[in-house]
Amino acid sequence: MKTARRIPLLKKMLAQLGIEVERVRLDWVSASEGDRFATIVNEMTEQIRQLGPFNRNGGSENG
Amino acid sequence: MAKPKLALYWAAACGGCDVAVLDTNEKILDIANLADIVFWPIAVDFKYHHVKAMEDKSIDLCLFNGAIRSTEQEEIARLLRDKSKVMVAFGACACFGGIPALANFTNREEIFQRVYHEAPSNNNEDGTIPLLQTSVAEGELELPELFDTVLTLQQVVPVEYFVPGCPPPVDLILKLVDLYASGKLPPVGAVVASDKTLCDECERIKEEKKVTRLYRPHEIIPDPEKCLLEQGIICCGPATRGGCGLRCIEANMPCRGCFGPPPGVIDQGAKLVSAIASIYQGDSEEEIKKMVEEMVDPAGTFYRFGLADSMLKRKRLQQTEGRM
Repeated sequence: MKTARRIPLLKKMLAQLGIEVERVRLDWVSASEGDRFATIVNEMTEQIRQLGPFNRNGGSENG
Repeated sequence: MAKPKLALYWAAACGGCDVAVLDTNEKILDIANLADIVFWPIAVDFKYHHVKAMEDKSIDLCLFNGAIRSTEQEEIARLLRDKSKVMVAFGACACFGGIPALANFTNREEIFQRVYHEAPSNNNEDGTIPLLQTSVAEGELELPELFDTVLTLQQVVPVEYFVPGCPPPVDLILKLVDLYASGKLPPVGAVVASDKTLCDECERIKEEKKVTRLYRPHEIIPDPEKCLLEQGIICCGPATRGGCGLRCIEANMPCRGCFGPPPGVIDQGAKLVSAIASIYQGDSEEEIKKMVEEMVDPAGTFYRFGLADSMLKRKRLQQTEGRM
């Protein structure tokens, strides 16, 4: 399906543009998997917190 | 009744847009009859001080080609903007950044390192590099400063019209001249080209857009009748404005996107990621991985002419204080 192909290609391009690929995550969750949804969102939120706000000048190396 | 005044200028450019104007062949005489060319560095001998001496808005039409990447280019862009009633971003570089904007994948320091020190063909043992100021016996020499980031014309001054293309095709140039001469210029902000995508205008046979592998142009000799995308060749047609007359397609080469994004598309590169990934057939992790590997340089391929005009405008600068 298209999303499954678009996201990996997008990540490759984002890496070329110096954007941390960890800022993009693709997962599939069904409506009946509430717990799993919560886990994924929490994980992603924490990941983004670690990365910090997106800053035009400077990747995560500079903080 | 005085003839309207026409100016042309080249910033970070290759000269192709000026050649395109000359390519109008005998029609250049019609242009010369229609207007007084008051500034055109490649062809006519007027200098910057002639432009500075003009009254504001005394130039009727300015065709500005080339991107902005130095203090000199920025200064002249602003000068011509002050002196011109109508400013046209002429050619892909002025409109979107063009090929020079590929420098936005790097920065001035890396470019200088490569060009003046590392390049294999260099013969520069003394490590000479251009400096902003140099003292010589005759006085002080000055050079313009290069920016880290290549800009489009519109990112520096307001622009009324856009004529895309690398270079713009002769018939679009003549269309612009004709619209101007007959007083029928479109609303400000218009792109003088087609409102459809190149894909829409392409006359090749289109069947089903499904490919199982991607080919780079040197890996395959395409069938000249069939859609290039359907043969696995990356063609930017789906997300590129039309109006170019399909010059590349008719040479059996894929579209490279020099007319920029079609109406309604803000970021050409993102749209192309979407389009190319959509037509690839493969759902397993392996097939997807194969597709990503076959697409050797998505950023360079999809932003070949439009990096400066994209949403991100450039690759992230690593230092916390970039110039732009």
